Amino acid sequence: MSLRVDAVTLELGDGDQKVRALDNVSAHVEAGDLTAIVGPSGAGKSSLLAVCGGLRQPTSGAVSIDDEVISNLSPARLTRLRRDKVGFVFQQSNLVPALNSVDQLLLLVHLQGRRPGRADRQRALDLLGEVDMAHRADRRPDQLSGGERQRVGIARALMTEPRLMLVDEPTSMLDQKRGHAIVELLAGRCHDHGVAALMVTHDQSMLAAADTVLFIVDGALTAG
Amino acid sequence: MFIALRDLRFAWGRFLLMALVVALVAFLTTLLSGLASGLIKNNISGLVHLDVTHLAFEYNNKPSYRNSMIDREMWEGWRDEPGVTRAEPLGHTMFNARTLDEEPLDDIVLWGIEPGGFLEPDVKTGVQLGAVPNGVIVSDLLVQRGLALGDTFILDRVLTELTVVGIVDEYNIGHVPIVYAPLRVWQEATYGPPGGPPPGEELPAILFDYASIVGLQLESDMSPAKLEATDIDLGTLTIDKNSAYAASSGYREEVLTVQMIQSFLIVISAVVIGAFFTIWTIQRTQEIGLVKALGASSGYLLRDALGQALLLMLAGTLVGTAMAIWLGQVFMAAGNPYELKPDTVIQSGFALVIAGLIGSAVSIRLITRVDPMIALGRQK
Repeated sequence: MSLRVDAVTLELGDGDQKVRALDNVSAHVEAGDLTAIVGPSGAGKSSLLAVCGGLRQPTSGAVSIDDEVISNLSPARLTRLRRDKVGFVFQQSNLVPALNSVDQLLLLVHLQGRRPGRADRQRALDLLGEVDMAHRADRRPDQLSGGERQRVGIARALMTEPRLMLVDEPTSMLDQKRGHAIVELLAGRCHDHGVAALMVTHDQSMLAAADTVLFIVDGALTAG
Repeated sequence: MFIALRDLRFAWGRFLLMALVVALVAFLTTLLSGLASGLIKNNISGLVHLDVTHLAFEYNNKPSYRNSMIDREMWEGWRDEPGVTRAEPLGHTMFNARTLDEEPLDDIVLWGIEPGGFLEPDVKTGVQLGAVPNGVIVSDLLVQRGLALGDTFILDRVLTELTVVGIVDEYNIGHVPIVYAPLRVWQEATYGPPGGPPPGEELPAILFDYASIVGLQLESDMSPAKLEATDIDLGTLTIDKNSAYAASSGYREEVLTVQMIQSFLIVISAVVIGAFFTIWTIQRTQEIGLVKALGASSGYLLRDALGQALLLMLAGTLVGTAMAIWLGQVFMAAGNPYELKPDTVIQSGFALVIAGLIGSAVSIRLITRVDPMIALGRQK
């Protein structure tokens, strides 16, 4: 069981402004599976990702990755957890502007406190090859198309051999055809690398590649 | 500095512009400190080359070369004091001088010293004092005003005629060139009647018991308490050589002015650097949030940002300082008062780098406050 979310509630804001972003959400994702969460904007999709990735602590309930409960860790421990166990794929890929594709991946090695070596570089190139981006390894984000950036984002998310991949609207800036290609690529990579993946999207046409689909409305999971 | 170095390459235009600002500030501070020490040296070069550790003035609130008057008891009293290696009187009077052809030589300071004593400077051309009656050693500045070895010139009002027997480098006090005369000549010019004593008469002996200050060489282990006791005993006010500089007219003001300009420059550069890194950091907010979400601690990002600032400051400072050193050579070659001391150059460069780091430290708060949550959701 790679990701388990147990009765998680997340309240944001104070007093009258208090909003229940997540309401008693429970879910689990197995290693190698891609679970899609679908819902309208404002339904709590990003909040769920934030709680799973340790960017927000739930008000109540528990989140565990690989049977390690993360919802009571200190901020510093959470930062390290994200670094070592979680791979993020963001909207519009969200790459660092100054880095070329290989360096986007090697940055994660550097974040772990190591000087990227030859083996790391080879691994980064291999991962870029898996997402068909080996020929763009020396390009910076401003020299890549939206789909290419997203591919680099997926390769980056796999760089540290994470246990969990959190994917935020990966197709929002892509047309249908490219969107499908990206989601299929994601599913395939997660399966091959044995990574549990949680993908939020508002685009119902992207669900074919998912192993499980969950629907979220007003912070609560529904049967669909 | 994984990201920082790549940022420098990626946004090189912006960083180059900023480094240029730093370079210009470094250039200005260095150039200014060179001009300042040149100017200051020009002011007190005569004092700098005086082979004393301390100077004793007549007791007063504030030591003043012009107003101080000491007598034989004082300089002999100092001379007899244990711990005093040497003590000799020095007379200090300002005169207007002109050549025999009535060409003005402007202000000069007449210093009366004992010929062959330790206060007498070594001449670079000519001979030392004593061989020629009324023979004097003059500052090179007077040579630039038209005097030559062997020339005779006149002190206005007192009409004393002096002959140049020796020349030293530009030894000045308060920017006024010094004329070194035998103490006796100085006493006659300062205390005697214009034109000297009437024929057949001698000046009263008591005139020769006075001078302006006592030049002292003290043993280094002489305690301040001992110094003070001697001062009280003899009615003098003794200050060390560095404080003696400040007693020269204009010196303190010159130093203060230059120091103020320099500190303002450094503060300005801190503010400019601060503004630059504030804007730079705000522009990078999204990126900082992203890297935090990927698992970077604030510490990692701070090291990155401050390392980047340090590189920028070092590069700019080095270039600017090098430019100033080069221009300084040109200045000096043209005969302007300019002096660069390695330690002051290093100090002002160091101060500038520190100021830049302090300025860039404003980004610390900005960086630590970025919430990695902003990496999720739609980017702005």
